[in-house]
Amino acid sequence: MIPNLSVKIGKVKFSNPVLVASGTFGYGEEYGAFFDLNKLGGIITKSITLNPREGHLPPRTCETPSGMLNAIGLANVGVKRFIREKLPFLRNLKTKVIVNVAGSSIDEYVEVVRRLEGKKGIDLLEINISCPNVKQGGITFGSDPKCAYDCIKAVRDNTTYPIIAKLSPNVADIVEIALAVEEAGADAVSLINTLVGMAIDLEKRKPRLSNITGGLSGPAIKPVALAMVWKTAQKVKVPVIGLGGIMNTQDALEFILAGASMIQVGTGNFVDPECSIKIVEGLKEYCQEKRLKRIGDLVGKLKV
Amino acid sequence: MNQRKEEGLLLSVENLGERLFRLKIHSPSVSKKALPGNFCHLRVNESYSPLLRRAFSIHQVEKEKNNFELLFKVVGPGTQILSEKKPGEKIDLLGPLGNSFSLPAKDENAVLLAGGMGIAPLFYLINSLLTKKFNPEKITLFFGVKGKDECLLINEIVSTGIRLHLATEDGSSGYKGMITELFFQELQSRRIKAKRTKFFACGPNPMLKKVSEISRKFKLDCQICLENHMPCGIGACMGCVVKTSEGYKRVCKDGPVFDAREVILD
Repeated sequence: MIPNLSVKIGKVKFSNPVLVASGTFGYGEEYGAFFDLNKLGGIITKSITLNPREGHLPPRTCETPSGMLNAIGLANVGVKRFIREKLPFLRNLKTKVIVNVAGSSIDEYVEVVRRLEGKKGIDLLEINISCPNVKQGGITFGSDPKCAYDCIKAVRDNTTYPIIAKLSPNVADIVEIALAVEEAGADAVSLINTLVGMAIDLEKRKPRLSNITGGLSGPAIKPVALAMVWKTAQKVKVPVIGLGGIMNTQDALEFILAGASMIQVGTGNFVDPECSIKIVEGLKEYCQEKRLKRIGDLVGKLKV
Repeated sequence: MNQRKEEGLLLSVENLGERLFRLKIHSPSVSKKALPGNFCHLRVNESYSPLLRRAFSIHQVEKEKNNFELLFKVVGPGTQILSEKKPGEKIDLLGPLGNSFSLPAKDENAVLLAGGMGIAPLFYLINSLLTKKFNPEKITLFFGVKGKDECLLINEIVSTGIRLHLATEDGSSGYKGMITELFFQELQSRRIKAKRTKFFACGPNPMLKKVSEISRKFKLDCQICLENHMPCGIGACMGCVVKTSEGYKRVCKDGPVFDAREVILD
């Protein structure tokens, strides 16, 4: 028996629930050297902004216990070059392509999604209202339910693609934000983005990142992510996409039990470039072993 | 798909000095494709401590035996774990990664500047030139270390027959001072000429910054090999960038070898 791993978000059907997280996979090309990208459920691009962004001064990353900090600063080629230079590669893949969109004003989000509208090769948008590393925008839209609503509503009104709202854990109540973006028309929520963190070089008495603070990711944040996915999945009706420290099949299954319909691999890609497709295989094997017909039957089946 | 995660077989662990180690790893795919300047991205163990891979320059390749070597100093937990590995263990690695040095033509000279562990990729470059029957007398190495105890591989270098200038910061051997000072003097006195010469440098960033300044001043055709923390190592994460005259570039994918006149180090 071949288990059914497929998942639907909006009208888009994914062959399996494994995605690769924005910012950890570039625009797909690099990892294409390591494995067949079509085996993935989908690829989420690096955040795209209206204009190209150089990003923050180095050092931009630093390793921490069971995790890492990053403050890349949304370095990206901008929407115009993305469409011209990066989309042709993604368009030729059979896997689903999710373009992550960031902005420093609602107008910028709207302008980016308008330019992406109708472009061949894009299946969904993920709206980043949770980047912890840029002063303006990003997280400011994700830390207040009203702002989150306004941002997602504006995007909703200007695109026909299904949209995923990517949520920040750096908030008082992530459920409140999730409910707000659902109300605004998001087809799914993905959580969690990175947690604000910091590391210090004692010798130099300086922060290890030029941006002083950065976003913490990796196994260190998995328990936080699981709790937030669990709480959110109790309240929202749209699918929840879980991420935060997923390194293997077992981690992925835990998120699914907690209520995630799909999962994203982020930092795990750095540790093992094949991490994501190993999870696809692992989920298949788990279903076979447990005689599950559909992976979807496991979503939210945590016994509490 | 032209790259794979490799499982190398560790053949030997050589302790060359107090904290200095050389690993010999059997990996046909790495040794076949490797070029001087390339690096490998190693996962030192399967735990989350440390979590990320470590990048090491390829230091030596035995093409016919399908082996390659890495040279490193123990500076933290990752290199500590690596230094304690035993022959026979499997090594999880990606590579060869990054770009490589562009080699001098037969009628050109090669001048290399190594600061401390910067000798790792340059040693491979020297051997690779010699394998290509490049005249050893046309190769000059400026080698700077802290003190005599750190004059690693000096016998191996001398035996190649290349020209060697040694500098120690404490003056225990050779020129007393920084290698870049000695290099600058040799250039100014025109004992080293910029014309028909390719320059190569690898070492700590303050040294490379100096090399970069000197290269601009004397208009040297100089390639520098950079080191940085690299989360992905393959060009995806934008974490290891260096400032250049054309904006930020990725050390792992656009480098690690750059034109010294293009890089802006601080």
